[in-house]
Amino acid sequence: MAMLARSFAVQGSFNYRTLIGAGFAFVVLPALRRTFQDRPLELEEAVRRHQEPFNSHPYLVGVAAGAVVRLEQDGAPAPVLERFKSAIRGSLGSIGDALFWAGFRPACVLLALVLVSSGVPFWLAILTFLVLYNTAHVSTRAWGFRLGLQHGASVAASLRVSPLVRAWRASAVTGAFLLGTLSLLVAAGRLTGEPGPLSTLAATIAVGAGIVLGPVIRLPAEIILALLVIAGVVRGVLS
Amino acid sequence: MSWGVVALVGGVVGLDATSFPQVMISRPLVAGTLTGWILGDPALGAALGAMHEIFSLAVLPVGASRYPEAGTASVAATAALVSSAAAGTWSALLVALVFALLWERVSGASVVLYRRNIERLLLTSDGNPLSSGRLERRHTLTIALDFARAALVTLLGALLGSGLVTWLAPRADLPADLIRSAIAIAAAAVLGGSLRVFGGWAERRRAFVLGAVAGCALLLIQ
Repeated sequence: MAMLARSFAVQGSFNYRTLIGAGFAFVVLPALRRTFQDRPLELEEAVRRHQEPFNSHPYLVGVAAGAVVRLEQDGAPAPVLERFKSAIRGSLGSIGDALFWAGFRPACVLLALVLVSSGVPFWLAILTFLVLYNTAHVSTRAWGFRLGLQHGASVAASLRVSPLVRAWRASAVTGAFLLGTLSLLVAAGRLTGEPGPLSTLAATIAVGAGIVLGPVIRLPAEIILALLVIAGVVRGVLS
Repeated sequence: MSWGVVALVGGVVGLDATSFPQVMISRPLVAGTLTGWILGDPALGAALGAMHEIFSLAVLPVGASRYPEAGTASVAATAALVSSAAAGTWSALLVALVFALLWERVSGASVVLYRRNIERLLLTSDGNPLSSGRLERRHTLTIALDFARAALVTLLGALLGSGLVTWLAPRADLPADLIRSAIAIAAAAVLGGSLRVFGGWAERRRAFVLGAVAGCALLLIQ
């Protein structure tokens, strides 16, 4: 429980040298204290080695932390721990980033935006987002710790057959669906008020342009809005 | 307007983005609504937050990448908007949105500066890893420093933004219809661009089109 609670602050000391290295050591410290309770020198040695550079998606850090604690309890030598952490960090980062940052989170946010655009009270839409998202978020953290503690060094194999990949695919499909819904609602003026037919047509074309160009369209869109402000001020000053 | 409260909210929102606990109150939709609610106009905060959120959809905080910090910018821009005498106008909303999109880059730069500067806190004076007790204290200290950073950048943004919205909004001689259309078109473009987050047109066109059909159905029902 202490490790789970601390995992919410694992990125508290994120820096470009060790990434979440110090945070990882912070998370596993309670378990290390139990493991090395009569061996203070070994405890400090373990704490120091776990401050080495390390990275993971914050919600999946429990997988590595649980496995490392299990390995430390089993008396695994330092080189084994180092090799394990080097091997697992890539998977935990890429799986977590794909599932949460590029899947579940934007999908949940889109759901909230669709609800708001459909006339649902904004507070209800936001509550839906927070409850839905954090149910999965906290469950994943707890699951990660259980998986790591149970499987130790072989956790990578368990990760490959876990439901995470299926969950990512489901999030991505749902997100794309909700994106389609919201795009239409925004083009129809549900976010900004009733537009004219010309505006709806232009917005629909803009969606297509965005699909073709990808996220880089954001900067030109921002610049156009900024230029509109400037044009308005110039017009106001001149008139 | 209680600027201290705005700074406090910004500090909490900034923390949530990365340091603690990442429960997504740092999303612009949530942060903007929360700020608006605290300052007495939740609907306005939600409106600005929703627009800002659309622009933030495709920003992915992966690895050690540098990215804008939307949450604190959303708090600052909402405070600027709510505090302005022109708060109910589309001009003010447009200026606040543009300010939010600009200020999130400043907030993001403050995160980079903060991360670079805390590195030395996580080592002993002779460059070695910390002992267990010092690690706990230093880790907690870095979280407190992140809170202070976020609070400061939010406060500065809110003060600057307030001045900009107050000065620019009444002078921006633009029809409300034009502003609404421009925001809708810009948001639509960004939404289209966000499809790449889920795999792009090639992989997700069926789901996207079905979603658009569902959107049509929603429009017909309502």
